[in-house]
Amino acid sequence: MGLIVKTMARATIPLIGIFGAYVISHGHLTPGGGFQGGATIAGAGILFLIAFGINEAKERINKSLYSALEGLGGLVFLAAGMLGLGVAFFYNTLWYNGPIFNGKPGTLLSAGYLPVMNLAVGLKVYTGLVSAVFAMALFRRWRK
Amino acid sequence: MTLPFLVILPLFGAFSMPIVSLLGKKLKEYWAVIISGATFAVAAKVFYTVWRNNEILLYTLGSDNPIGRGVDFPIRIVWEVDLFGALLALTITFVSFLAIVYSLGYMKHDTGLEKYYTLVLVLELGMLGVVITGDIFNFYVFLEIMSIASYALVAFRNDTWEGIEAGIKYMFVGSLASSFILLGIALLYGQYGTLTMSYLAIKIAENPTLVAKVALAFLIGGLLFKSGAVPVHMWLADAHPAAPSSISAMLSGLVIKAGGVYAIARIVFSIFNPGLHIYLRTFNAPSVNMDVIGWIIVFFACLTLLVGNAMAVVQTDMKRLFAFSSVGQIGYILLGIGIGTLAYGTKVGELALAGAIYHIVNHALIKALLFLVAGVVIHEVGTKNLNELSGLAKRMPLTTFSFTIGAAAIIGLPPLNGFASKWIIYESSAMYNPILAAVAVLGTVFSLAAYTKVLFTFLGKESERVRDVKEPEKSMMFPMLVLVVAITVMGLLPWQISDKIMIPAAKMLEQLNGEYILALLKFIGGA
Repeated sequence: MGLIVKTMARATIPLIGIFGAYVISHGHLTPGGGFQGGATIAGAGILFLIAFGINEAKERINKSLYSALEGLGGLVFLAAGMLGLGVAFFYNTLWYNGPIFNGKPGTLLSAGYLPVMNLAVGLKVYTGLVSAVFAMALFRRWRK
Repeated sequence: MTLPFLVILPLFGAFSMPIVSLLGKKLKEYWAVIISGATFAVAAKVFYTVWRNNEILLYTLGSDNPIGRGVDFPIRIVWEVDLFGALLALTITFVSFLAIVYSLGYMKHDTGLEKYYTLVLVLELGMLGVVITGDIFNFYVFLEIMSIASYALVAFRNDTWEGIEAGIKYMFVGSLASSFILLGIALLYGQYGTLTMSYLAIKIAENPTLVAKVALAFLIGGLLFKSGAVPVHMWLADAHPAAPSSISAMLSGLVIKAGGVYAIARIVFSIFNPGLHIYLRTFNAPSVNMDVIGWIIVFFACLTLLVGNAMAVVQTDMKRLFAFSSVGQIGYILLGIGIGTLAYGTKVGELALAGAIYHIVNHALIKALLFLVAGVVIHEVGTKNLNELSGLAKRMPLTTFSFTIGAAAIIGLPPLNGFASKWIIYESSAMYNPILAAVAVLGTVFSLAAYTKVLFTFLGKESERVRDVKEPEKSMMFPMLVLVVAITVMGLLPWQISDKIMIPAAKMLEQLNGEYILALLKFIGGA
């Protein structure tokens, strides 16, 4: 892409990323959540891929790191669901008697395991979408 | 409580697979074996609990009570496991475990194996979720998990044209079928405002509207597709030959059962209980006429078992032949379920349902064995064309023995397990309507012809291609021999198994006294 696109991408990628992080971390307070925020950040990743090209992306995107992080996102979600296994699977023990996530409703550290799960889903969606788009961009060539 | 581990374990295995595969080259395979083995142990425990107590296990997610605070209806996702579900969970984990062990040797030459094992565990997870859930939207989610994993696994060998073609066909029509099911669920939710299956049963009985009937039609239509009933079986005949053989074994043995016939039985008997609606009709109250549903299922069952088995006779591709034979066997299972709906509340209906459940388990074991044998032949000889192959018996005696046991069992020869289940289905259909029994026997005649043809592959004159083949390695031999032992042992105790497991499972599914609904109602109190 040209110079204008690259410069604009440099300016907007951090903004998109910060907005996505905001959507994820406020998932239990405002509209949006893990999936929406994760998809937004993945949009920043796709902008990076398009603006700077496949060769630049190849240097910056580590395939095994992304797939490990995707697995990690799933594991954190599962672990949050298992925290209250003494009562039931997905029992929100952090909200009922957890250490820090049981603040006043409406504040950031409330809603028990929900913020943790939003972060996990956000990580999973971001890494999953970016790896999928990156794999498609790398897909061999147009014809034999 | 062990029930949630049925879902937690495969989920943990699938999520940790990308991290585990970074740690070592062979580790991911052993990890998949360990996880699926542990899941099998959990399923055995759940099955034993349900079987011993002979009552439905109800598990609420997120709390100890499915009823909301201050209201008297269920607001949470519940898992309801009756003996039928527990039996299927046991079968699913058993066959999945063997298929994963088989993959150690069979998939050795393929790349991208960490994705393969992740997908297999996700497929197992989806099927387990379908059979344990008591919430209809949760059912849809698990059905989609199962379907999407199987689309990806069918097209796993994406350097072959047939894998891609079968995958695309399966995915396009499968998504359409799933959207029918989702539409049915949306209609039910819009009309009755609940998604819990047993509470939905009460709501529908209170007010059976046209919407409920339309939703039932959408659900049955979508699920007949997923089980490979005849007018919509074309995906199956492409998907099973194109998939890797360990996956064909799971697709044919498990996916069409869990996501197809199990779900049909669950919806017909637990959401639209025929007994409840017959009872309503005797008081001239509005009701859903479940006889119509019974006849529709029987119609498609007869069509399925005739066309499926007849098409199997003319195939020259070994795996395609087995795939059509699977379609045929689904016909028997649907026939049992259909007669169970029509003759509801009588001895015949109960027998037919027990036969259907028995045949689900038996066919899962037999067809898994047959597809594993086909995988060995492809792996060792390099072709699955029956015209190029003959006389494998001398070079591969154990494989030939396994195939002979499998073929004899699927036709229904007495000392093996296929006999008892087919006998029960013949017997109950003959008692209900002799024409149906005649159709069922005709299907078996076709099936006999088809398998005799394959027998020549193994027992005929030795052909050029099989001069220097040998038995496969131990990790491929072991699952086949375990299945042979399971088939033979089950065949030696047919009526004991039928009396101790299948009849109670049929009784619990039939829920003559509304057991499935009562399991939830006892939380509301004073039911």
